Amino acid sequence: MPYFMGIDIGSGSSKAVITDDGKLFDYHLLPSGVNYRTVSQKLRDELLDKAGLSPGDISCIVATGQGSANVPFSDRQITDIRCCARGINSIFPSVRTVIDVQGQSSQVIRLNDKGQVVNFVISEKCAAGSGRFIDVIANVLQVELEDIGSLSLKSDNPVVFTTACAVFGESEAVSRVSEGIAKEDILAGVHKALAEKLASLVDRVGLEEQCAISGGGGLNVGLIKRLEEKLGMELLVPPHPQFVTALGAAILAAESTRVEEIS
Amino acid sequence: MYFAGIDLGSTMTKIVIVDEDQKTCSSVIKHTGAEHRRLANKVMEEAMEQAGLSFDEISYVIATGYGRINVPFADRQITELTCHARGVYSLFPGVRIAIDIGGQDAKGLRINGGKLVDFVMSDKCAAGTGRFLEVIADALGLKLEDFGNISLKSTNRVSISSTCTVFAQQEVISRLSEGIPLEDIIAGLHDAIASRVARMVRRLRIEPDVVFTGGVAKNIGVVKALQDNLGCEVLVPDEPLLSGAIGAALLARELTLDALAKGEPIQRGERRLEEATFFK
Repeated sequence: MPYFMGIDIGSGSSKAVITDDGKLFDYHLLPSGVNYRTVSQKLRDELLDKAGLSPGDISCIVATGQGSANVPFSDRQITDIRCCARGINSIFPSVRTVIDVQGQSSQVIRLNDKGQVVNFVISEKCAAGSGRFIDVIANVLQVELEDIGSLSLKSDNPVVFTTACAVFGESEAVSRVSEGIAKEDILAGVHKALAEKLASLVDRVGLEEQCAISGGGGLNVGLIKRLEEKLGMELLVPPHPQFVTALGAAILAAESTRVEEIS
Repeated sequence: MYFAGIDLGSTMTKIVIVDEDQKTCSSVIKHTGAEHRRLANKVMEEAMEQAGLSFDEISYVIATGYGRINVPFADRQITELTCHARGVYSLFPGVRIAIDIGGQDAKGLRINGGKLVDFVMSDKCAAGTGRFLEVIADALGLKLEDFGNISLKSTNRVSISSTCTVFAQQEVISRLSEGIPLEDIIAGLHDAIASRVARMVRRLRIEPDVVFTGGVAKNIGVVKALQDNLGCEVLVPDEPLLSGAIGAALLARELTLDALAKGEPIQRGERRLEEATFFK
């Protein structure tokens, strides 16, 4: 059975997956750093090692993400919007809206039952609309990134952020700390602010059930809860949210190969 | 008779004392910090000492700026837009458009005969304010004061594609790691802030004289970039930080003299000149 690889070079981290018969076989993640070419080679080599495969076992490689042009060994490049939609569809066929929250951008994608993109909206101009907003505030509060979501859930009294800018939000967080307000209340506030921004993106494409979350944001239980409150519905969370786009790339690699073989 | 104007900005606090003939007797500029009230008191005392005056000799005090409610000794508060318009007009009577880029916001004012007739403002986003440059200077370990001169050495300006300050900071670091000279990057940052502010101010219809004030006007690189973006000459006062405080002091003078001329009583505040702190 042939194997396929999807490789997603994001602004913060790079992800690669190998699929076997349309199912996730193995996956790997590295920080993107400043040289996308080096990181993509390293990611491929380490993933092949981990999976016990050799380069010859992979029939087709699709690159996606903002650094997709810097993957010298890829057979094709496909946009991350298409890959994300295809990826989530392979995990949850019932999903019609996916909220993809990444380190430097967010996107909301509407898709059909075949995993094809119907509509989408991207927020990439402003850090306050991406996971970066939470990183910036967590840094002020000196909280480890893994803990921020769960810590924020301990708050009954989220702080209201009056600004929509991550830089001004940082100053606001510092002021709240100096007033003696608890970390969890400040964290809950920033999660709420991001959830509101994401919900406004969802409004722009129109929400159709069911709704899923992907990207690094899907690892944050605090963000998921605030989004669910804001949207008034439950979100489906895939087992490895960060790898959804890379998975979609691998599945599209397999499908494009099949089409080429037939034609 | 003497009159004081105090401008409590997000980053800097400024005070000016003028006499009956509109002559500046003293001025003080200090970092705002966290304790507005204590600082307001301190700059007032320094300005009085410089001018050799006691508080009783100051007929009227107007507070302006973002922290204007934290001036317990002020007789009246007036918005910074009105004070800026008045201050800039006193320095450049031909002014039609005033652009002020401060530490936390950017404003464009249309002025007619010293009166504010229209304005645009941006305070929602750090891009297009002094904070944009401050954050990046901090990340690079450079002094903000040096940015202007460094940028003048640029021969091949880099275009900064990020709007957001947080992303621009990262973009600058990537460009540096690619070996692009610092001066070309800083020139790119100056163009980024200037083009953003110019786009906003153009909504007022640009007409000379254009005057540029606020802390960012001290940066010669941004002044030049703003001239390029607006396609006209931009005038900068000798001390671009003081225009709001000057305007406040002049308005204090006018209000007092008007009241005296009409024989009306002067509406005074509580005039508590004492150390007061937020933390007490």
